[in-house]
Amino acid sequence: MSIDAETVRKVALLARLEIDPSEEPRLVRELASILSYVEQLQALDVTGIEPTSQVGGEAKPALREDVAKPCETREEALGQAPDRDGDYFRVPQVV
Amino acid sequence: MSGAFLHETAESLGRLVRSGERSALEVTGAFLERIARTADRLGTYLHRDPESALAMARSVDRRRAMGEALSPLAGVPIALKDNLCTRGVPTTCGSRILEGYRPPYDAHVVERLRDAGAVFVGKTNCDEFAMGSSTENSAYFPTRNPWDQERVPGGSSGGSAATVAAREAPLALGSDTGGSVRQPAAFCGVVGLKPTYGSVSRYGLVAFASSLDQIGPIARTARDAALLYNAICGRDERDMTSRAEAKPVSLDDLERGVKGLRLGIPRGLLGEGIDPEIQAALDGAARELSGEGADVVDVTLPHARSSIATYYLIAPAEASSNLARYDGVRYGRRVKDGDLKHMYGATRGRGFGREVRRRILLGTYALSAGYYDAYYLRAMKVRTLIRRDFADALRVADAILLPTTPTPPFRIGEKIDDPLAMYLNDIFSIPASLAGAPALSFPAGFTRAGLPIGLQVVGRPFEEQTLLRVARAWEAKCDAASRVPRLVAEGAR
Repeated sequence: MSIDAETVRKVALLARLEIDPSEEPRLVRELASILSYVEQLQALDVTGIEPTSQVGGEAKPALREDVAKPCETREEALGQAPDRDGDYFRVPQVV
Repeated sequence: MSGAFLHETAESLGRLVRSGERSALEVTGAFLERIARTADRLGTYLHRDPESALAMARSVDRRRAMGEALSPLAGVPIALKDNLCTRGVPTTCGSRILEGYRPPYDAHVVERLRDAGAVFVGKTNCDEFAMGSSTENSAYFPTRNPWDQERVPGGSSGGSAATVAAREAPLALGSDTGGSVRQPAAFCGVVGLKPTYGSVSRYGLVAFASSLDQIGPIARTARDAALLYNAICGRDERDMTSRAEAKPVSLDDLERGVKGLRLGIPRGLLGEGIDPEIQAALDGAARELSGEGADVVDVTLPHARSSIATYYLIAPAEASSNLARYDGVRYGRRVKDGDLKHMYGATRGRGFGREVRRRILLGTYALSAGYYDAYYLRAMKVRTLIRRDFADALRVADAILLPTTPTPPFRIGEKIDDPLAMYLNDIFSIPASLAGAPALSFPAGFTRAGLPIGLQVVGRPFEEQTLLRVARAWEAKCDAASRVPRLVAEGAR
């Protein structure tokens, strides 16, 4: 599978990642070289093999009691916001 | 006099403090002095706070004076990788996007070390969001290898490994996703342990690839690594992957030697691309350990060669999801640029460095509609094959012995423009990460040019003990830890 500037722009938009147009040729080159390397996995036979998403996932999940515990205060949670309005995070105009 | 502390083990520093022979303040002062002398040259720290370190040391001394029982790490200086959250202390992950961020809480491991009375000397430099093998991807400055300052210390926990090698701290914590504790430990001539997946809670470790991330100790000796591991392992309900099977190791048992232990060498995985001096070090260690009574056998890991391709799909996919949280809304840096969508794009595009952007794009691509089955799903299936290889090999052997890296530390700048070449350097560390197996790198000597060589032992889940025993047996036989970087010898007058 090949990758071109158009695909890079599309993926960058999906990832909400602004890419400078001058960077595109380098990114295309680098991603193409990595993708061509990982292509080797296509040669392996994985018929009937279950995927591993998490090691230890087959163990019974350890659950905790569902009880309320103190967490950081509202002030701590909001204290590092780049922009806030009282008890709210403020963001630029949405539409 | 104070210089003498620098060469003591963490174990003995803890003992000196507990017995009252030395105060925690004296010990901490000595390391802070060393840091002041060499840290800027090496680029080991992103944040230092000597005042708060001294305050922590004084508090240990006060507790001792009041007759409180102290833990083995009380008064022992420790450096923390900058992706571990520390309450009120800058935590940037080596990224501009978190410049100035001060977490409102401590990571689980930080909390445990605080309770143990350890003294935090600073936050160590690392590749941005732990993505890299050289610490050149730090958005602030690179870290230099104490053994040769023109070379990289490895990564991503390069600051942690370099600071221990340079005697700036006896202990450090790093994090390891594909080798980020073991590879820098190997490059800097120190011990680095990646515990079993699930051994240590990642609560408060800034997430990179959650199915792989583990926090691990870096130390100069196996016993010191064990001491730090014991302080942080075990179940924590705030990380649902952390497991009660993770038990502290017995330091006495580490002295038992390797008699009767079956050590498997995966010869098929070695071969081309491996530096002859590293191959020779592996053969030498196999001979020595066999001389100590270990039973050296052959094992195969048929799918390990596919591990880099597997890893560079799985890790970026998980990273692209984990790093979606940096959006300039709740914390961190925001770049103002028009409406909300443009603010997201500008904040992330300018806040993340090259390697992080590359991996986010790669991961987003691998997960995107039309490619998911061919890339991500297939990689997860190959991961199953790799796990099976380890399970099979570890029935024939009690532990697997292999190099940590195929080459000695490379030069700063040598691989930075060739991401694939940088990735290929991880061939020996990534397989154990994908298998979730515990793995440890120990210093196994030096090249003729005086660069450290690391060898790696990989074991069965929750058998950290075995790995530490092998490393300890090797140390007892071949004292590689006695050699110090020239920088240290000169500065220690």
